[in-house]
Amino acid sequence: MKSIKQSVFVVRELVSREIKRKYSRSHLGILWSVLNPLLYMAVLSLIFSAVFRKSIENYPVYYLTGFLLWNFFTLATNGAMTSLVDNKPLLLQMKLPRLIFPTARVLSALVNFCYSLAAYLVILLVFRIPIRVSAAAFPVIVVLTVLFSLGIGFGLSILYSFFGDIRYLYGVLLTLWMYLSALFYPVEILPEGVKSLIRWNPMYSYISGARDCILYGRMPDGGTWFSMILWGVGIFALGWWIFRKGQTKIVEKL
Amino acid sequence: MQEEKEAVISVEDVGMQFRIPLENQESLKDYLIGFLKGKQKFRVLKALDHISFQVRKGEVMGVIGTNGSGKSTLLKLVAGALVPTSGRVVADFDKVHLLTLGTGFDRELTARENVYLNGAILGYSREYISRKYEEIVRFAELSGFMDQKIKNFSSGMVLRLGFAIATARETPEILILDEVLSVGDLFFKEKSGRRIREMIHSGATVLIVSHSTATILQNCTRAVWIEKGVQQMVGEPAEVCRAYLEFGRRRSKDG
Repeated sequence: MKSIKQSVFVVRELVSREIKRKYSRSHLGILWSVLNPLLYMAVLSLIFSAVFRKSIENYPVYYLTGFLLWNFFTLATNGAMTSLVDNKPLLLQMKLPRLIFPTARVLSALVNFCYSLAAYLVILLVFRIPIRVSAAAFPVIVVLTVLFSLGIGFGLSILYSFFGDIRYLYGVLLTLWMYLSALFYPVEILPEGVKSLIRWNPMYSYISGARDCILYGRMPDGGTWFSMILWGVGIFALGWWIFRKGQTKIVEKL
Repeated sequence: MQEEKEAVISVEDVGMQFRIPLENQESLKDYLIGFLKGKQKFRVLKALDHISFQVRKGEVMGVIGTNGSGKSTLLKLVAGALVPTSGRVVADFDKVHLLTLGTGFDRELTARENVYLNGAILGYSREYISRKYEEIVRFAELSGFMDQKIKNFSSGMVLRLGFAIATARETPEILILDEVLSVGDLFFKEKSGRRIREMIHSGATVLIVSHSTATILQNCTRAVWIEKGVQQMVGEPAEVCRAYLEFGRRRSKDG
């Protein structure tokens, strides 16, 4: 009991340090978490909204919904990946579970995501998109995305302790993954083969689920829910298992 | 006959091996090539081999040896951070506290924020840190500097802060010290040395790792000498230190 309380305290301290650090050299500080997605949205809309005018209504909202979740995922997993190596001197002294380090990085990305939601709300208002009952599914989808990111982050943090190269490989993989997540184009334009591939993409199921419940005002269908839950819980469990297996080895390695 | 008290740390025939890659096998490519060829080129480094000793309640045990003799590895094993390759270490790891300084300070944060961050990781609760905060600042002689970022501190100031945080705890039941007997300038050295001696002599069970015979002779009730991962001797500090110095003289004559 006492150690759970202490773990929560350490995670909070680590998260607040990440947030302070992230913007410690900028004048606008945390405001960047709000501005950044808006700027991306503006750029992408400038380029693509003419192209996809017919197939996508409210293109900026379509893009922003996906971008927010995607940006959370990349920040969370990239941060979690290096968390053990970055905190090497602390690993020896700490008695609490080492899972704390990747978890704190993922939660820092979640805090950043929550700030970005302010921008999202403004954009929803500007485009007069009503918030319907289905929006209640959004927090659930976010939680599932967090679980999925934790699982990937746990696994990557162990892998990265053994092979520094993973970082670059993962960077390339993320680029490919992003293009396969239908962030800025409608999934309908893809050929049949690629479309079925995308249905296997967990990030696409989270993104399309979020678009359903916010942009289109409807509950995601059963298949999407099935995929979101299975990926979220499954990858979380797998990452947890890899971490437990690997954590005694990493101290030798570091 | 020695009075038999219960052993709180029991190191039983412990061996620790590290596999050091021969070529720089840090990268995945090299690893995969090695893996596919069916051989990975490793050199096995025996950091520790057949180490056995016990530390009884209230004892101050010194571990002595030249640099690279496996002392730090032993300390990580006793602290529970590493798991031995063979043999076992029996100790109540929840009660073991490893005293190291200023590791994990974040230079972009203020001194105050670092006290909380570092304290949290050392296992202090928020209430405990708040209660001890003034004392930590006073001991580190940093009042007036606490809202500045650590990156603007001199290395001495950082050391003092690290020492003050690390020793702010109530003395743990089992204390492990890695050559941090005193830090800082002449005056702070005296003060920090005094605090460490207080901790050592407060009735806790202590394991001190050092390469200095003076430290061992002054503080320890028993000592073990480890050389190149092999246990040479356990016993009275005076005897062990004599043998160790003898060895040092012989070696410098030969070399």
